[in-house]
Amino acid sequence: MADQDVALMAHLLRRAAFGASRDEIEAKVAQGYDNVVEELLTPQERPGIEDDLLMRYQPAYHEAAAIETNIQAWVYRMINNPRQLQEKMALFWHMIFCAGHSKIDSGQEMGRMIQMFRDHGMGNFRDLLYRLSTSPAMVYYLDNNESHKEALNENYGRELLELFSLGVGKDEEFNYSEDDVKACARAFTGWNIAPPYPPFPYGRSPWDFRFDPADHDDSEKTFLGETGNLNGDDVLDIIARQPATARFLARHLYNYFVADDVQIPAWRLTPPADMAAIDALEQAYFDSGYEISAMLRVLFNSDFFKAEGVRYAKVKNPAEMVVSTLRMVGEHREIQPGLFELSQEPKYMGMDLMNPPTVEGWHTGREWIDSGTLVERINFASDLLGNTELPGVQSLVDRLMARGDTLTPDQFVEGCLDLTGPLTVTDDTLTELRSHALKGGDLSHGSPAERADFARRTGEMFQMIAATAEFQFE
Amino acid sequence: MSTHFFGLTDRTFEYSHSVGRNEFAGTGFRNPVDFALDSDGVAYVLNRSYENRPDGVRITVCTLDEEYVTEFGTYGEEDGNFIWPSGIALDREERLYVTDEWLNRVSIFTRDGEFLGKWGVGGSGDGELDRPAGIAISADQTVYITDSRNGRVQQFTLDGQYLGQFGRPGQGNGEFDLPWGIALGQDGLVYVADWRNDRVQVFTADGQWQASFGRSGSGVGEFNRPNGVAVDADGDICVTDWLNNRVQILAPDGRFLTQLVGDHVMSQWGKDKLVSNPDMIRQRALAYANNPGYERNFAHPCAVKIDSQGRICVLDHTRGRIQVYNKVKEPALV
Repeated sequence: MADQDVALMAHLLRRAAFGASRDEIEAKVAQGYDNVVEELLTPQERPGIEDDLLMRYQPAYHEAAAIETNIQAWVYRMINNPRQLQEKMALFWHMIFCAGHSKIDSGQEMGRMIQMFRDHGMGNFRDLLYRLSTSPAMVYYLDNNESHKEALNENYGRELLELFSLGVGKDEEFNYSEDDVKACARAFTGWNIAPPYPPFPYGRSPWDFRFDPADHDDSEKTFLGETGNLNGDDVLDIIARQPATARFLARHLYNYFVADDVQIPAWRLTPPADMAAIDALEQAYFDSGYEISAMLRVLFNSDFFKAEGVRYAKVKNPAEMVVSTLRMVGEHREIQPGLFELSQEPKYMGMDLMNPPTVEGWHTGREWIDSGTLVERINFASDLLGNTELPGVQSLVDRLMARGDTLTPDQFVEGCLDLTGPLTVTDDTLTELRSHALKGGDLSHGSPAERADFARRTGEMFQMIAATAEFQFE
Repeated sequence: MSTHFFGLTDRTFEYSHSVGRNEFAGTGFRNPVDFALDSDGVAYVLNRSYENRPDGVRITVCTLDEEYVTEFGTYGEEDGNFIWPSGIALDREERLYVTDEWLNRVSIFTRDGEFLGKWGVGGSGDGELDRPAGIAISADQTVYITDSRNGRVQQFTLDGQYLGQFGRPGQGNGEFDLPWGIALGQDGLVYVADWRNDRVQVFTADGQWQASFGRSGSGVGEFNRPNGVAVDADGDICVTDWLNNRVQILAPDGRFLTQLVGDHVMSQWGKDKLVSNPDMIRQRALAYANNPGYERNFAHPCAVKIDSQGRICVLDHTRGRIQVYNKVKEPALV
């Protein structure tokens, strides 16, 4: 199996999935890159999580009221959903269509919103905007339930344009005016929520969207140059056909899957780093009739995605850091107790899942890293990778042993980097790792004592690799 | 005018009342998975809760008249603790036996909650357990356990000595796919909710296969992951049809008799919770007008028992309550 094929597949699975074990990477290489891309893009054609089993062994995951339980259930799915790109896209939309538990105060509704992203996050963008606009959690989070025919609240109308579709501007131009914001908000009046049951005594009922025609402003409006008795549906149609929407989506997908970009408020004045890539994604958006999966197909099959220069050039976000490490070491690959504490780890690293800091979401890229979060990231990964009892780590140790009866320190370091990535490190890092390995000399595994020492030193080397700057990237 | 009568002629199932509410401690239940009823009509409700609310993992003791008695047990791996409690049953001396499908053991308590002992070891050999789920104890003090991931039923003495087993993983007669609930009929037959095969299987006490009822689906006599089973004095078989949100009642020969979908009226504990919160009273009133079925109907019923009065008691998992039904011979208004 060619090293470059393994490296490319590992890259695809780091970006379009939450990483994979070495066994899984090699199995996917055997399937072929193009086939794996299609598999990722067509989740409906293959089995997902076995929900009946999940509900049997973790019954509290179902209709869970507590936010912690919803986060735990989502982390379980990120680790184990065979339809990995679904989970990756659920996280993608959660980081853009931000709504947070701190205001919503319903773990169940946050969980339902993530489920909506999971189910429709690779579908049609116009359809997704409709689902977002009728999502009770979003209606409540951005106060559309307080926006009335006679007393307008512009919050949802404004954020829909600024943060959920057009963006403030592109190519140094503004994408919409204050009048467009008002017209948009008026079009969504009457989009509200039916009364749900309270939490006590039998648990909240799911919130349902409800349109109240008597509270809807049906008068004439002008939005982005189009005039009529526009309602929310009309506004979404207009939004979907804007070049700015294609740019917005293309730039977000590039930032999430290819290379870190500047933060969204800077997009009006800062052009994309790779305009040709953005053009290709925009073209796919319009050619397909706003299909997100069509854009992803172009992206994953493109040279700009496969390029060696973009590999290990994106900072892992905390959820990616936690979940990819768990997948690599083979922990929680079946339903078992003990996931609660682990599911809180992204929060300690600066990403409180289901509770973004503002409607603008988290700042990504190198802003994930500060002295505090770096310590959390390193401690988390090194604790797990250094535990040679874990099945994934044990498998890596076995693979390393299979490379020869005796490994020189250089071969040992090279093998460890290959199996935890394949990871390319700077010369300085490599020198440090080799220097440490040299202290122990050659590694053999003929006797039980040698095997134990081999495993111990491998765990130690994995811990050192987890502490490198390079391990913070994907 | 004549009445064209199709179906039952001699039984009516009449909702009586509900017991409980969702609660992590005291007067209520949290993700209850099974319960047992003693000869005094006291219920021992096994609450699974979840790991970030370990305080909710416990056995709640109360009467079916909604008198709170006590609670005991907690989350953990020490003696008397539970991780994934799954089934509960009483022996002839009315000691409680609780299965734990993570710890692969059975814990024994007095009715007051005093820990008496434990037995069980993980594995697939004779007498070893892999996710023990349902438990029932016969009049001769034989313990029957659905050993779910081993796809079998195992029999033990009260102190855990292995006696025998029947079944194996599969879909054929006498085979199981993750069996869950188990009940013993007055005729000595053993009834098993064959969970992932969507059916109920019937065996003699020594494990001879007698019959299988049901198939996958949501129609008459069809099941979607049945998990609890009970047999009353007439031999009628009550099955909690978990993901179809109903209880199906079958005749002794397996014919469909009727279904219960839930008829809940606010329990006293429920009222107690609401009475001090006028905002929630108002909110519930609006919600009830909008969607009365949400609170009334079963939400993942997971265990059913017959009490000493012949009443059918259904543990309603997601809503944290027991709905009690009378079975009456005379015509009753429902």
